[in-house]
Amino acid sequence: MSETAGGIAARSASRVAAPNSLRHELILKRVLQWSVLGTALVAVVFPLYWMLLTAFDPPTLSYSSKISLLPKQLTLAAFSQLLREYDFLLWMWNSAFVAIISTLLAVLVGTLAAYSLARLRYPGRGFLAGTFFLAYIFPATLLVVPVFVILSVLGLTDDYIGLVMSYLIFTVPFCTWMLRAYLTSIPPELEEAALVDGANRIQAMLLIILPLAAPGVAAATIFAFTLSWNEYLYAFILMTDSTKMTLSPGMTKLVFGDIFLWGMIMSGATLMSLPVVILYFVAQRFVVSGLTAGSVKG
Amino acid sequence: MALRTASVPVPSTRRFRLPRDAALGYMLLAPAALLLLLLVGYPFLTAVVMSLQRKLIGQAEAPFIGLGNYVALLTDPVFWTVVRNVLIFAGASVALKLVIGTAVALALNESMPARGIVRSVMILPWALPTLVAVLIWMWMYSDVGGVFNHVLMGTGLVERPVLFLSDPVLAMISVIVVNVWRGFPFFTITLLAGLQSVGSDQYDAAKVDGADIFARFRHVTLPGLAPVMAVVTLLSTIFTLNDFAIIWLLTRGGPGNATDVLSTLTYKVAIRGLELGKGVAVSVLMLPLLIVLIVLLTRFINKREDAG
Repeated sequence: MSETAGGIAARSASRVAAPNSLRHELILKRVLQWSVLGTALVAVVFPLYWMLLTAFDPPTLSYSSKISLLPKQLTLAAFSQLLREYDFLLWMWNSAFVAIISTLLAVLVGTLAAYSLARLRYPGRGFLAGTFFLAYIFPATLLVVPVFVILSVLGLTDDYIGLVMSYLIFTVPFCTWMLRAYLTSIPPELEEAALVDGANRIQAMLLIILPLAAPGVAAATIFAFTLSWNEYLYAFILMTDSTKMTLSPGMTKLVFGDIFLWGMIMSGATLMSLPVVILYFVAQRFVVSGLTAGSVKG
Repeated sequence: MALRTASVPVPSTRRFRLPRDAALGYMLLAPAALLLLLLVGYPFLTAVVMSLQRKLIGQAEAPFIGLGNYVALLTDPVFWTVVRNVLIFAGASVALKLVIGTAVALALNESMPARGIVRSVMILPWALPTLVAVLIWMWMYSDVGGVFNHVLMGTGLVERPVLFLSDPVLAMISVIVVNVWRGFPFFTITLLAGLQSVGSDQYDAAKVDGADIFARFRHVTLPGLAPVMAVVTLLSTIFTLNDFAIIWLLTRGGPGNATDVLSTLTYKVAIRGLELGKGVAVSVLMLPLLIVLIVLLTRFINKREDAG
C-alpha cells in the first residue's frame, strides 16, 4: 500500500518537475508510432489496392505502358472473361467443399482430443500432447511425396477424399492444439462443481465446458477453414484433373501459360480472397481470442 | 452445496480434484490419434523407407540402395547451393518479420484512433491465401506493365525494366520481400497479445527512474516480450523452411538454382524428375535442422508454461 502511494507521489512529482521532457517524449512517441504504422499500412494496402484496380480495369489496359495509379474506368469485364474461359466457379465450389468437410471433421475430432488432453488425467498424456504439437509443426514438404505415393496406390489422387485426408494432416493437430490451450484456460472449478453436483464426465463436458469453449471452437473452425482454403502444396500436387481442381491448382493454370492475362488473374485473386476476408472481418472477435489462446500457424 | 461436498468420499482437508479417467481419456483421444498415426506417422515412415530406395515414378520395383540417395545429394554441389539458399531465405525472412512485426505491434499497442480497423487491415496479408499474395507481387514485379518498373522508369531511375525475378540476387530479395509481407502480421498479432502481459507498473517504475522511451523498450518491454518472441521466431522459422508456393510460383527456384530451397528441390527431383526416392531424401535432410528448432521450441514453451 505505502509503496503504491509512494509511487503515485513520485510520479506526480516527476510530472510537475519535468513537464517539457514528458511532452517531448509524447511527441516522439507519436511520431515513431505513426511513421511505423504509416509505412506498414502503405506496404500492406498498396498491393491489395493494385489487385482490385487491375481486376476492375478494362482487361486490355493492364498491359499498356501508360498504366495509371488511379482507376479510370471500372468494369467487370475481367471477371466475366475469367468465368467464361475457365471453370472458376467449379474450382471455387470444389475448394469450399473440401475445406468445409476437412474443417468439420477436424473440429469434431480435435475438440474431443483437446478435451481429453486438457481435462482428463491418464498415463502418457504429456507425451501424447507433445506428439500432437509435433504433428502441428511437421513440415508438409516431408510428407507430400509419400502422401502422393500412398494416395496414388489407393487411387485417391484427383479425388476429394484424398485431398480431404491430406488436409486433415494439418487441421486435426491444429484444432487439437489450439483448443487444448483454450480449454486449459477455463477454470477446472466449474467442472468440479458439476461433478460434485452429480453430473458425470460426459455431461460435464457437453453441458459445462463446451458451451464455455464455444468462442475457442469458433476460432478453431475459422482457422481450420482458412488453412484448408488457402492450402497450396497438397492441392497443387494431388489435383491435376481440371474438372476436380480446387482454386490453388486452378489459379496456377492461369499463370503457367505463355501470356499473363493480369486482369483475369487479379479478378480470380479477388474472388479467392473474398471468403477469408469476409470471415475475418465478421468473426474478428473470435480470431483475436483464438490467437491469444495459442500460437497459430503462419 | 456444502452438504453434498461432505458426502463425496474425499478427505475434507484436500480440495476436490478431477478424478483420473483413463478410459474416457483414451477414448476421446483415439479418433484424432489414429488419424495422425495414419496420416502423419505412416507417410513419415514411408518417406524414410523411400529415401533408402531407388524408387522412380511409374516403376513397380524399388531396389534398396542404402544411403545411395543421400550420398548422391551430399556430393552434389546443387544440394549445397540449396542449403545456402535456405539459410539466406529463412534467416533474412525471419529476421525481417521479427523486426517489422515487433515495430508494428509496439505501434499498435499505443492508444490511437481507429485502432481496431488498423489492426484488422494489418492482419490481411496473413489471412489471404499465399497464392493470392504471390500473384499480386508477381504482377507488381513484372517487367511488362508491372507497377514497380512503371514507377522506376517513370522517375528516370532506370532506363530499362528491372528483371526482379530473373537476376539471381534480385530474385532472392524479391521472394524474401513477399515472404515478409505475408508473414509479419503473425508476429504482430502474437506479440500484441504478449504485450498485454508486460505490466504497466513496470513502465511507471521505469518512468520514475527517468528512463526514456528507448531505455524503457530495452529494459522493460524487450525482456518481458523475449519469451513470446523466441516461440514465435522458432515457429515462423519452421514454417518459412517449409515454404513452397512463394518460391515455386515466383521463380521456380531460378534463375538456375539461385532461389531453390529444400521444398522446391524436393518437388523438382521427386515429381518433375520422377526420382521419388531421391526427392524424399532431400526433404528428409531437413530433419537435423528441424530437430534443433523443435528442441529449442519445446524448451521455450515449457519454460513459459512453468512461469505462467
